[in-house]
Amino acid sequence: MSTQNSTATTSLVPRDRFLGSLYGRNTRAVIARGLKATWGTNWSIMVSGFVEPVLYLVAMGIGLGALVGTVTGPGGAEMGYANYIAPALLAVSAMNGAVYDSTMNVFFKLNYARLYEGMLSTPLGPLDVAMGEIFLALLRGAMYATGFTAVMGAMGLITSPWALLMIPAAVVIAFGFASFGMAVTSYMKTFQQLDWVNMIMLPMFLLSATFYPLTVYPEAMQSVIQALPLWHGVEMLRQISVGIFSWGTAGHLLYFVVMIAVGLTATTVRLRALFLK
Amino acid sequence: MTKLPAEESRHAVLGLRSPLTPLQTAAKARRFGAFYYADMWIRRMRGYQWTVLMTAVGTPLVYLLGMGTGLAVLIDANSDAGFPGGNGSTVSYLVFLGPALVATAALMVSSEENTYTVMGGFKWHRTYYGPNASPLSSGQIASGHVLGLAFRLLLTTGIYYLFLLLFGAVPQPGTGWLMVFTALLAGLAFGLPLLAFSATLKEDKGQFAMVQRFIVMPLFLFSGTFFPLDNLPLGVRWIGWISPLWHSTELGRVLSYGHPEPAAMTALHLAYLLAPAAVGLVLGRRNFTRRLDG
Repeated sequence: MSTQNSTATTSLVPRDRFLGSLYGRNTRAVIARGLKATWGTNWSIMVSGFVEPVLYLVAMGIGLGALVGTVTGPGGAEMGYANYIAPALLAVSAMNGAVYDSTMNVFFKLNYARLYEGMLSTPLGPLDVAMGEIFLALLRGAMYATGFTAVMGAMGLITSPWALLMIPAAVVIAFGFASFGMAVTSYMKTFQQLDWVNMIMLPMFLLSATFYPLTVYPEAMQSVIQALPLWHGVEMLRQISVGIFSWGTAGHLLYFVVMIAVGLTATTVRLRALFLK
Repeated sequence: MTKLPAEESRHAVLGLRSPLTPLQTAAKARRFGAFYYADMWIRRMRGYQWTVLMTAVGTPLVYLLGMGTGLAVLIDANSDAGFPGGNGSTVSYLVFLGPALVATAALMVSSEENTYTVMGGFKWHRTYYGPNASPLSSGQIASGHVLGLAFRLLLTTGIYYLFLLLFGAVPQPGTGWLMVFTALLAGLAFGLPLLAFSATLKEDKGQFAMVQRFIVMPLFLFSGTFFPLDNLPLGVRWIGWISPLWHSTELGRVLSYGHPEPAAMTALHLAYLLAPAAVGLVLGRRNFTRRLDG
């Protein structure tokens, strides 16, 4: 990530470097700019973003929990309803944050603020921009996940020390969604198209075994849900929260690793098409 | 003012109407000013008609599938008592949920149309200044906005109600259809004070994000939408009491399945919805006038 010619093998001439046409090795400049801009204008909005999943947890966990009673969790153990939905809400919040940051936010900077045009007229490449934006989204996601896990602890919903692993796992989920988000945004031309993103997220949020087990659905419907990324995120965090692991946990993780790889490739290809035409 | 020759009478032979003078067109526009503006508002909405239709059709479908059927399996199996309906009967979770979802949809549409749309009208798109240079009064522009909003709200709640019928979630369709209007009231009771607030903003410093996060979201979650308000501890139950969403939902429940409550309570719900809507309209008109005439 350094622009300095610190080792003999690093050349200052872009064409001599791996991915030299895309990557200026200065992602940190994009990150530093993002942090400074956030701090200067909207840090209170940024920080308060973690309130939303907490509100859901209080309302649904207590209010709906009284109607539902206990639910069968990972490994067949009965668990309280608040314990059941808390990890799911964390997964949803990771998804929402990552998608918001990589669509709405990037769309605005791309088409209205024209921020990236300025950046790309410096030695920064599209890959620096993409990695910088994704890093900022993940930083925010990690912050929210930490806050939410702390609230879970305060509400007595953490029953296993493994639950701390939910924080990095939530970042992995956010990474998966963020890496795809920018690629999708690159195709968008109007603000209204952003509403379609919401129209994909809302069903995923409500149907991905967030508030009730998948078993209430007929078989065919179950397979559809199981193909969606959020379901894997919800299941992964739910298993981590109680510390009951299986090969399934590894499968969920693998799903996101593949998603990140595919998403990053797609984003890079799209950014090249967009900026370097 | 002396009459122009053209307006004295119709053409003797052809019977054509003589053209109106500018003063006459102005007076005509002035008389129905709010409707002129509402007409424009609705036509502008056609610019994002797909979004309007998608949210009006897609949202009910997803919520009814997810919460009304999915979650309902879990709840109907666990809470053996059901939810109290008319004459000592009980109703299923889907029936209980229906009126709340319709009212929620109105709240969401209202929070969207009374924030950035209004600020855009003053600041970015400046849609208010053209009409304001015409014979329309500033107050009529505000009222026209409200009429246009009411149109979109009724469209949304009407479609939602049809979905409820389709899912078999309205045991008393005879009175149930009125929930389209009680939901409209929720949208107005929340939206018009918000309209008045938005009309005062000069700079977007994230106020709307804060309104969304600290007002709309809590109202949505703590208004007895997904569960009876009594399930919550008193510390947060008051949010439901002051929430237009709760009052509208309870009205809808009375209409849809005869949710048992004293008549005085029903009257209170109605009054609670009408008062902020009326105050919001008056303040909104005043703030529009101050901003546009000042």
